Order: sequence, then structure tokens, then C-alpha cells
Amino acid sequence: MTKKLVSAVALALAAAMALTACTSASSAPSPAQQLTIGASLEPPTLDPTGSDAASIPQVLLYNVYETLIKIDNAGKFQPLLAQKWQTSPDRTGYTFTLANATFASGRPVTSKDVAWSLDRVRAGNNVAAASQLSVIKSVSTPNPTTVVVRLTKPSSSWLFAMASTAGIIFDSASTSDFATVPAGSGPYRLARWTKGSDLALDRNNAYWQRKAAFDTVTFRYFTDPNAMNSALLSGGLDVISNLQVPQTLPQFADTSRYRVIEGTTNGEVVMSLNNSAKALSDKRVRQAINYAVDRQALVDTVWAGKGTLIGSMVPPTDPWYTDLSQTYPYDPAKARQLLAQAGYSHGLRLRMRLPVVPYATASGQFVASQLADVGIQVTTEELEFPRWLDQVFTKADYDISIVAHVEARDMVRFADPKYYFRYDNPTVTRLVAEADAGSEAQQIAKMKQVAAILANDAAADWLFLLPNLVVTTADVTGVPQNATTLSFDLSSIAKAA
Amino acid sequence: MPNLRRGATRLRIRGPAVTVAIRVAIFLLSLVLASVLIFVVCAALPGDIAQVILGQNATSESLAALRHSLGLDRPLLSRYLDWVGGMLTGDFGTSFFTRLPVADQIATRLAVTGWLVFFGMAVALLVAVPVGMIAAVRRRRLSGAVISGLSQIGLAVPAFWAGILAVFIFAVKLRWLPANGYVPLREDPMQWAAHLVLPVLSLAVVQASVLTRYVRSAIVDVLEEDYIRTARAAGWTRLGALWRHGLRNASISVVTVLGLQLATLFVGAIVIESVFALPGLGQLLLDAVAQRDLMVVQGTVMVLVFAVLVVNTAVDLSYVALDPRIRTARR
Amino acid sequence: MRRVTLLAGVALVSVVVLLALVSFVWTPYDPVRVDPSARLLGPSAAHWLGTDGFGIDIASRIMVAAQTCLLVGVIAVGIAALVGVPIGIGSGLLGGWFSEVVMRVTDVLYAFPALLLAILLAAAFGASTWTAMIAIGIATIPAFARVARAGTVQVMASDYVLAARSCGTGRAAIAGRHILPNVAPVVGVQASVAFGIAILAEAALSYLGLATPPPTPTWGRMLRDAQTYLFTEPSLALWPGLAIAVAVLGFNLLGDGLRDLLDPKLREQAR
Repeated sequence: MTKKLVSAVALALAAAMALTACTSASSAPSPAQQLTIGASLEPPTLDPTGSDAASIPQVLLYNVYETLIKIDNAGKFQPLLAQKWQTSPDRTGYTFTLANATFASGRPVTSKDVAWSLDRVRAGNNVAAASQLSVIKSVSTPNPTTVVVRLTKPSSSWLFAMASTAGIIFDSASTSDFATVPAGSGPYRLARWTKGSDLALDRNNAYWQRKAAFDTVTFRYFTDPNAMNSALLSGGLDVISNLQVPQTLPQFADTSRYRVIEGTTNGEVVMSLNNSAKALSDKRVRQAINYAVDRQALVDTVWAGKGTLIGSMVPPTDPWYTDLSQTYPYDPAKARQLLAQAGYSHGLRLRMRLPVVPYATASGQFVASQLADVGIQVTTEELEFPRWLDQVFTKADYDISIVAHVEARDMVRFADPKYYFRYDNPTVTRLVAEADAGSEAQQIAKMKQVAAILANDAAADWLFLLPNLVVTTADVTGVPQNATTLSFDLSSIAKAA
Repeated sequence: MPNLRRGATRLRIRGPAVTVAIRVAIFLLSLVLASVLIFVVCAALPGDIAQVILGQNATSESLAALRHSLGLDRPLLSRYLDWVGGMLTGDFGTSFFTRLPVADQIATRLAVTGWLVFFGMAVALLVAVPVGMIAAVRRRRLSGAVISGLSQIGLAVPAFWAGILAVFIFAVKLRWLPANGYVPLREDPMQWAAHLVLPVLSLAVVQASVLTRYVRSAIVDVLEEDYIRTARAAGWTRLGALWRHGLRNASISVVTVLGLQLATLFVGAIVIESVFALPGLGQLLLDAVAQRDLMVVQGTVMVLVFAVLVVNTAVDLSYVALDPRIRTARR
Repeated sequence: MRRVTLLAGVALVSVVVLLALVSFVWTPYDPVRVDPSARLLGPSAAHWLGTDGFGIDIASRIMVAAQTCLLVGVIAVGIAALVGVPIGIGSGLLGGWFSEVVMRVTDVLYAFPALLLAILLAAAFGASTWTAMIAIGIATIPAFARVARAGTVQVMASDYVLAARSCGTGRAAIAGRHILPNVAPVVGVQASVAFGIAILAEAALSYLGLATPPPTPTWGRMLRDAQTYLFTEPSLALWPGLAIAVAVLGFNLLGDGLRDLLDPKLREQAR
């Protein structure tokens, strides 16, 4: 979980593309098709169980590794390695029937591989993925094409996790070091990884479904977002997986040469308020802060007007989304009034401790200025990520921080009183648990309730939702608009010859 | 009477072999001292790498297990000895994050920084030596004053600002060259060169200014020496006399500066790498620090410090080669 | 000519100091207050140098940033001089092996340029004005030590000191009576030059995000921000760079002018 957040911060958000199920929009592969994609953060390792960095699934999920099921654009589950699955009436038993799939090594994907992979993830160092699978009670393999999973309790989030990094199926016969050589069943294989520079995938010619559109897909990594832009401008890239500096969009205004795809992600830029800090434990102060910040102006200023106002921890692509962005409209007078009521009419001093990422630095500067207008003096401190992780995230030694939470469906973090928000609301904790255990309809209803409670409680200030800004050359097609998973799914992308 | 004149000239009155031996010994000691400093500072950096890798949900057991597997639970001294021992055989350890050999990563990045520094210095020298000589010979004329003035301005310009301006002019406006990024030489030599032009020029503008001033003042010193006057009296032209007699003497002080500048160039390259997003040693260091990938941090800093120390030593030793008084140990 | 250099140096430094002093009491606009309605305005009568991406007046930011720049210069040079000069004088005075060892140890510091120190300090304590000042200060110690030592050795070898020594005057007395007054001018010149270098280093560090954090304006950080707008608002990258160049040029000229004034024979021996 944290490492997702880690990458959240560092990546500014993983470019994550929705899938267009199994139907590939691409035509039959023509000779020597190449695609070069610019990305901002390089995977620390290629083993999805070694770290929960979002940069790993960005490259590998659905492209090199596959899962039993996948989530489509509409948030619905679709078959992948499992051609069908059945849920027991009490919703604690799942029976997956495997498709006739093979790994890149040529071995068939069997139920043994599935059981082995689930064990591997649960024992791995990707704590987030491991904990998502912690509800598994047992995995049995009655025959090579059938997997039966029993859960300790009903869980909707479990099935969702099975469609993401936690559900990756490894080739259990592989003897390679997964940290550098992946062994999956996807349409691509790792061709080479030049640490610090790029990572190339080439077509898995033994792929068990429709073959991939490109001979080679190269992910080039840029720590500097401006460098990524120039690479596209100078022809070194076909795709910018996610534009990190929206202010530079005018460079790509020529529609005959470039295409800009603008959608949403799961990356909520949260201005976290330490609910256990003295002043911030007072709801009126948190509300005052929410009233004091003009979020539309903030998005216009720091993110070139790209991005969606959300007002709670739910992106529009989630089934339980409702527009809560107007819960606390910009109203500095109201903010001052609330502060006075809370006893801070003579001012309030708060510490803002930010991770060093562009959106946090810029947003922090903006927020500090607007809070000063209503009488809250903010002292800003920038912390390198390891220090931020240690001091803010672990020890909650902060008043205000700003970080993007890119993980899908991460509103449930507010149900954990020990999470660095230090938001302790038994009702929310109970509703989240009920939502996970309930049916889909119940889940949606309860999660809607949670979102509304959080918004009203001003548990945080949701500054904006990071946009999915993909820039491609004009000949690239099929890039999905919204990023609903962490994978940069290549399956629908094509390039005119 | 006690020997009051010892001190600065002490090294100079020994024979060349002794001078070299002492200098090399000092170099090795400095290297050891530097490695201890680097190791201690890195070990003291706050932020637990295991926690960075595992995240906050990690249990204390899994953290301990990871620290153990990374060898972080061993005593500092044995970790230090392992590190130093490894470096002696070219093994800089393994990155905590990528599990790739640190030496390989450094080598890849060093190539980028190396080209940058090499060409930066070469261009600076090509400009500074002739321009500095002209400025010295014509120091009492307008052209000399103009050169001095320009070099003074060049000295005040931050290299990274020069870089930003160069990007604006040559990449944004004229679109002649890429704004930033890097292409390895073996991939595409033309692109490689195109990507290096602006960074090299930004680095060279400032270096050329520094060197021009030193070349000028070294040549001026030489021009005022008696032997040049004698040569002039014997019918040599000013430039001819300089060429025949002065350059060797002038080169001693220029070499000193050259060495020291080469050292600062390596570090200045870090900022230029940042402006142009070049995947060099500096970016590797900044990234590794941000991730607390200590093996990479230690290795990179050590390589940079090593480079500086080697250059300093080489400069000192070059005195022996260039200064006939030292070479023959006449005194 | 010499006068011109000195005067130009004094003039430029005065401009920077004046900007900083004035900014304590007055700036055209609030240097940190964000104004979303006034973003990226070009130069005008209201905003002489225009506004940045936050709608903040650039002239005001340039003025306030002069404070940080001078503060870093003063403290860094102060640290370097206070540590470096005694080391240099002591080593020059005592001579012998002790001197060698001390100077070689400071030489090792040479191998840790300000940037490396700043990266490590920022990692240990978090980047701030202080880590930048200390890093620059420590990295500048060897320069002062060398200059002070060279000056001391020169004075010690002079006839009047030889005369004083033969009369039995103690080392401390010689240091006080002869060395300090003679070394002071060289150190002064070195301080001016080091000040210019410190400003450059501070600018580079804040450009890299290793010095003063926002919202406090610094010229280096302004340049970093300006890079984002290089394609649309290139003039943002002009002013902060110009400010740095003027300040550094001022201190360099001041140093050169002082050097010529104090001793025409003292040429660029500062390393």
C-alpha cells in the first residue's frame, strides 16, 4: 500500500490505461512495428511481489503478466486467464476455470501455477498486494484447469485485487530471477532493461490469444518531465504516458502532428490534515481550511486547469461516485468566521510538510498563500521521500501535507485510524467493512455514504483529481481516455504505418 | 638561526622520486580518509531503506528480515571493510533497489558525464588558450580590454542559466537542436552529438571564461620576464618569443587551474545534467539519495571524489614534469 | 582602469544590497501572495517585470530573493574565513610536518565540493537555507586556508619578521603584529571572490531544490520554475539569471578591484 503511495508521489501518478477487454483494436501486426513510450518513473525491480511501486504494473501488468480476470473500461470484470468463474452463494468460495493459455515459455498455464503465484504474492515483499490477498483461506487445485479459492469472509475488494498486481500469475517452472527477468503469459516479453534509461518489450510470438500489435515497445524513463516533452517533440517518442507538466501542453497544440488525450485517473491529490493534531481535530478548523482554498483557481494555477474537482476520495470512474466538489465552495469570509468560532481569531500556525514532487510544491505554495489570507500562517518544509515516509506517513508528525493517492479505490484508507490521516470515525470503519462484505449494490450504497461523510467531515481537503494526460504523435490510436488501473495496457493501441 | 624559510617550498627541494612518492602516499591516505567520511555519512543518513522498500504495512519481522538479507544488520566496520575491499576489485556492491551491480550503473552514467566534461573542457581550452594569449599580448589595447570584460561577465553567468538560455534560443526558437535528453553514442552517433552540443556549450562558456583569465595572467607574467625581453632584443617578435620561450612557463600555472577546474567541472556537470536531463552520474546520485539506495550513493560519491583527488594529484605531479627546477632538483 | 573595476564592483554590489535592504520594508507587491487572476502577465507599468505562474510580481520576488542570496554569502564566507584563516595562519606559522598534514587534510575537503556536501546535508537534515550555507561554507574553507597560509609564509620569510625573530619575538606576537595585518587584505580579496562563488553555488543548489524551500523566493528556484514556461513565457527565465549574474559580477569586480588597489603585484593566485 505504501509503496503504491510511494510511486504515487514520485510518479505524480502512474499512467494507467483502461483496458478495452480482450478485443484488440489493432490490426494484424505489420513488419517492424515499434512504439516508444515516455514514462516518469522506472521500476525499482521487475518482480511485482518485490515492491508495490506503481511503475511495475505500469509496464508489466496485462502486457507481460496476466491475471485470471481483468477490469474493463466500465469497471466490469472480464475473463482473461480464467475463461469463467463462479461464486458460491455465501460469497466466500470462487471457482475459476482456466482458459487454454500458455506462458511465453510455451508451458500451459495450469492451476498449479495459479496456486503457486497466489502463495508467492502472499509471501512477498509487496505488502500491499499481500494484504489484499490476506482474506484467502485456502487455494485448491482439483484438476489442472480448475482453481478453487476459499475466503475467510466475503470480500468485493478481493476480486478487484485479483484483477490487478496481486492477481498476477507467474510461470512456476521458471528458474529466472523475477527481479530482472519476468516470466508471464502476456502478449509481450522483456527484451532488455537498461537500468536508468529504458526497458524494451518484444512480441511474444507464442502468445495464446491474438498476437501483439508491436514488434517492440520501449518504455523510456525520464526523471525530468521537460525532457520527456522534448523527446516527443524531436521524434524520440511516440507517446507520453502521462504529461507531468500540463503547463507545457501548448507545445503540442498542432493537431496535425500530436494528439492529446485527456481523461481521469485514480490519483486524488489529497491535502491531508492531521486529524489528531490539536487545532485540526476541530472540525470547524478543517472546514475553514476547505472554505479558504479556491480549488478551481488552484487547478488553473498549478496544473494548467487540467484535473477534476472531486470533494471526496472518489474518482468519477468508481461505481460509487457522486459529485461532492461543492461541499465547501471557496468562501474566505466563512473560513475566517469558522476559525473565530474555533478560537483562532488571532491566527493559527500550522506546519506543512511536503514531499518533493512538482504538484505538491506548487500546490503547497498556492495553499499557503490562501490560508494566510484567512489568518492561518503556514510554514512550509520540503522532505525527500524517505524522510516524508518516515516522519509524515509513519509518525504523522505534520499538520498539513499534500500527496497524490493513486491507488484504485483507496477511500478505504480513511477507515484505518492509524493511517497518517489519523481520521478516527467508527461509522466510516464500520461502513467500509460492510461494503466489502456486502453485495455489489450494498457496496455501492455504503461507499457512497462513506464518501459523503468524509466530505462533510472535511476529513481532508481533496484539491483535485490528477488528469490522465496522454500525448501521442498523430499516428498513434487507441489510447484509452481514462486510467482505471495502474497498467499502461498496450492491447488497444496501434500506430499507422 | 632556525630554518624559517621552510614550509611552502619544502616539497620543492626534494628529488623528483621522493616528491612523487610522497604525493602518491598523500593521495592514498586522502582516498582512505574520504572513503571513511563517505561511509559514515551515508550510514548516518536518516530514512530506513527497508521501510522504503517494504512500505508502512511491513511488520518489524519482515523489516528485520529484509535488513538481514541486505546485510544492513552487520556491524558497521565489517560493512565498511566489505565495501572498500570490493571496490579494490572493482566491485562496488549491489544496488538495494534494483539488485544490479553498482559498478555497472556507475559505468553507464560515467560515460555520459565523461563525454560532457571532456568536451566541455576541450571546447573551453580551444577557446581560452588563443583568446587568453591575444588578451595578454594586447592587454594595453581595446581588444584586450574587451576580452577581459567578456571573460569577467562569462565568469558571473551560472552555467545552468546559460543552459536554459541556450535551450530557448537553439531548441525552442531556432529548433536546430534538441532541448534535452540523451542518446547513447552506439545507438545513433548523430543524435548523440546533437544532444551533447548545448550541454557542452553551456558548460564551456563558463569554463572558457575562467581559463581565459588564467591564461591571460600567466602569459602576462611570462611577458614581463627578462628572458622574453632578451629574446625581443634579439629580434624575436612578441608572439614568437612567447611561443619559443614562454609557453612552457605559462603552462605550469595554467595546468594548475586546469586541474582544479576539471574537478569543479565534474560537479558542475551535475547541474547541467539536471538542466538537460542527461542520465549522468549527477542524476544517478540525486536519484539514489532520494531512494536511500546507499550502495549507489556511496559508490557514486566515491567515484566523484576519486576523480577530484586523481586530478589534484596529477596536477601536483605535473609540476615535476613541467618545472625544470623541480625536475632536476637543482637546489 | 583599476578604479573602474573597483567602482563597477562597488556599484553592482550596492545595487544588490540596496534591493535586499529595500525589500525588508517595501516591495511593489507581496512576494508570496498568490493571485490567480494575474498569472503570467508580461511586463507593464503595474508589474515592471511581469508576473509568474502564480500571479506573483517578479520584481518583488527578485528583490526579496536578494536577501537570501546575501545571507547565504555572508554566512558561508564567514564560516570559511573563520575556520580557514586560523588553519592557514597556524600552518604557515608552525611549518614542518604539522603544516603539511593540516593542509593535506583540508585538501581532502577540496575533493568534496559544495554540491556533494549539500546533497548529503540535505539528505540528512532536509534541504534548507542552513544546509546550503554550511555546505558552501565548509567547501570554501580550503581556499581561505591556502590564501592565509601563502600570505603567512610570505610574511614569515620577509626581512622584518626575520629581524623580529632573531630579536626573540615569540610566534604569537609575530602573528598578531605582523601576520594578521599583512594577511588581512589577501583574505579580504579572497572573501569577495568567495562571495561571488557562494552566490553561484547557492543559485545552483536552489535550482536543484537543495536549498531554501518555497515559498521563500530564490533566484535559483525561480529559474527552475521558469523552465516549465520556457516555451510559452521565456522572459521568466531572463530576470533571475540576470540578477545572479549581476550579483556575482559585482563581487568578482570588487575582489579584482580590491586586489589591484591593495597590491598590484598580487594576481590571481587564489585557487
